Amino acid sequence: MEVALFYAFASLAILSALLVVSLKNTARALFLFFIVLFAMAGLFLFALADFVAITQILVYVGGVLILMIFAFMLSNKELLADLQNKSSKFLSLPNWQSLLLAIGFLAVLAYGIYEWQEHYPQWITENIRSGAIIKAADNNIQELGLHFMTKYLLPFEVISIFLLVALIGAAHLSRKEDIS
Amino acid sequence: MSTLILYILVPVAIFLFIALFTLFAVYAERKIAGFVQDRLGPMETGKFGLLQTFADILKLIQKELITPAAADRILFALAPVVIFVAVFIGFCVVPWAPDFMPANVHTGLFFLMAVVSIDAIGILMAGWGSNNKYSLLGSIRAISQMISYELPVGLTLISAVMITQTLNLNDIAFNQGILAQQDIYLLGIWRVNEIGGFLSWHIFQAPHLLISYVIFFIATLAECNRAPFDIPEAESELIGGFHTEYGGIRFAFIFLAEYAMMFLVAMLGVVIFLGGWNTPLPNIGSLRLADWTTGLGWGIFWTLLKSLTIVAIQIWIRWTLPRFRADQLMTLCWKILIPLAFVCMAISGLWRILILV
Repeated sequence: MEVALFYAFASLAILSALLVVSLKNTARALFLFFIVLFAMAGLFLFALADFVAITQILVYVGGVLILMIFAFMLSNKELLADLQNKSSKFLSLPNWQSLLLAIGFLAVLAYGIYEWQEHYPQWITENIRSGAIIKAADNNIQELGLHFMTKYLLPFEVISIFLLVALIGAAHLSRKEDIS
Repeated sequence: MSTLILYILVPVAIFLFIALFTLFAVYAERKIAGFVQDRLGPMETGKFGLLQTFADILKLIQKELITPAAADRILFALAPVVIFVAVFIGFCVVPWAPDFMPANVHTGLFFLMAVVSIDAIGILMAGWGSNNKYSLLGSIRAISQMISYELPVGLTLISAVMITQTLNLNDIAFNQGILAQQDIYLLGIWRVNEIGGFLSWHIFQAPHLLISYVIFFIATLAECNRAPFDIPEAESELIGGFHTEYGGIRFAFIFLAEYAMMFLVAMLGVVIFLGGWNTPLPNIGSLRLADWTTGLGWGIFWTLLKSLTIVAIQIWIRWTLPRFRADQLMTLCWKILIPLAFVCMAISGLWRILILV
């Protein structure tokens, strides 16, 4: 049952992602992107990362995706037509960059699978032996909160400052100029 | 096998409840509107017009499904489904009675917030898919309003969660009555674990949560797009807002989602701030009122009673207050509600550190 669900989510994510990049209709592609994100959230659940899964929906669907759709709706038609009329030559620059990125990422993944098939890394085997593993019924969110406030306090605070800077920047950019 | 049947039965039961509640609430809405405006409301169909909403839904189901020629067919057809399902999933983590809820998860509240925000995508889909100026304007208004008002809702919920220290809605409800697993104090001073009743509700455990609840109530009114925050479907300017082009069963689903959302936020407010399924009657000496009125049946009864009271207040407000202007709406949210919610959150933190220790 769980394996079937996993493959259902995985294939949903891959198929809709492929559709997103190949669709001509930008509006539909944006709404399809929602399905990709949702399926990704489902996959996070299988890694017992329920907090990450929900954050994925909250941040990406509730925030980023809506912003993208807004930007799409408020931009003018000529700009969009310009974006869609890319040169169809295979060797044009954007294609090369994305190809390079894709190959690099594939290499990393393949290397990971190849390495881990032989034997798990030492830290994983050690943790399994000492029983420091997450089970499905554990209260992950409490652990997460405790770790944020103790072990990882500095990174957490740095991120907070970073977000505050972004917020102030956004407020400054959107402020009306004083005409006087 | 039996769990599988349960998995199917529970959503069906919740759906039936939502449908029944909507029929009842629309009738109540009309009757209350009639009362406020000094007229009778529906009187023709059935005794006191009781069958009026059944007649309405029968009419909606019979209607033909019309898709405008210029509409994006797929998005247009999917939007009502997305809108309804987003609200419908929200019901799966809210407790009705002690340990009586569809899914008992540690991240309940967070999950609910995330899932309900999907609603916005559905509204945007409806607005864009209709290919109609009024629909698009309505949906853009709806989204800007929902996104803005999600902030005070989230902040007030955080201020309550900081007191109770859990995101599990079941535990939150437990910690507001005689079944509490941790020590609870009235106003932070008087231990009320044995007394229970309304004294142990969150709004009385810490007085600033009362302000939080008022903010939460106002902001959730805006989240449901109800008057006085109904500029997304302001009839005088936008015809019908994002659901202008919808008719028949599709419109019925959008309508259903709106009323389900009303009940969901009412119930969420009840669970977080007003004690959930806990009884309002305290134990007084040998008069064990709280002990007698706690249990499965009583829990469902109290949840329903409190939530329906909140829904009644929502309806009352709709027919009493005039509609806000768009800029007034944003001023209220960003300049009044959000700063106040931040103050409540700060007080919650201090309260937890200094008073509850």
